[in-house]
Amino acid sequence: MDPVLAEIYSTVLDAAPFVIGAYALIWVVLLVYVLIIITGLKKTEKQMALLEELVASKK
Amino acid sequence: MTQDTHSRALANRLAPVALVLGIVLTTVAFLLSFLVAPLVLGANVAQTAIIGGEAISNKLLLSQKIFYIHVPVATVSFGALAFLAYYSIRYLATKNQARKPFFDTRARIAAEVGLVFIIMTMLSGDLWTRFEWGVWWVWEPRLTTYLILMLLMIAYFILRTAIDAPERKATFAAVFGLIACVDAGISYLITRFVPTSIHPVIFRTDSGLSPSMLVPFLLALFGMALICFALYRLRLRQVELNQRLESLKLQLEEN
Repeated sequence: MDPVLAEIYSTVLDAAPFVIGAYALIWVVLLVYVLIIITGLKKTEKQMALLEELVASKK
Repeated sequence: MTQDTHSRALANRLAPVALVLGIVLTTVAFLLSFLVAPLVLGANVAQTAIIGGEAISNKLLLSQKIFYIHVPVATVSFGALAFLAYYSIRYLATKNQARKPFFDTRARIAAEVGLVFIIMTMLSGDLWTRFEWGVWWVWEPRLTTYLILMLLMIAYFILRTAIDAPERKATFAAVFGLIACVDAGISYLITRFVPTSIHPVIFRTDSGLSPSMLVPFLLALFGMALICFALYRLRLRQVELNQRLESLKLQLEEN
């Protein structure tokens, strides 16, 4: 590679793991939080449906 | 159906749409920031080379690409904390005892979503700091006040867990939440107050961002704001449903 171009691009490859890491960590944190919310929501909805059934059967 | 219930149902219906739209916008922003936005220039090099028809005599910085996600996430974290402040003030100001849990729940969820965005800001900022400044941490005014903000938000939830009496817990949390929001304001403005701060000043009229850089930045900002709104609404729906479930269980036990 041309030595001038090599110097111009010298920090690009070194920075790549940090850039990829930053984007990946942000999406992982968001994904984990979304999964926690959706799992909790589904669990609560299931319990609510069971409770409604119980109330209906008592009537 | 009351106006309040109607707007709540509408917001709940909009949440999944906001989440999908937010993901689409941030994905488009990600693609534009890497495929269209140019690499910014760093330190000078000894000679000039022609790249894409332009004479370049500086090192090209890939690390600046973190800016397109880090700044929107940080800005949205301040937005979430503004909601925490709003609902905390409403909680403390209202005389209507029946409305108090309404404001407390919203303040708590705004704090929770805010903390998630603060953690994302810290992680992405720290990776940029490590590469650009060569260290994992610098006791720089913006970083220090933001670290204090993160610790205050963690303490907010510890405080909530430590107190049993619901009304006392909510009152203490509202006051503590407001203190954390004061630090958020200081953290946001500190790069302007302290000229020696090495953290760049964001949101200024002379930023000189070209449209190819500004568009992905704004798309990521709106996308993250939509994701934040969607997460807030989804979490609120879960918490409210849980509260209804608990009260139904109590009613059944009493009968």
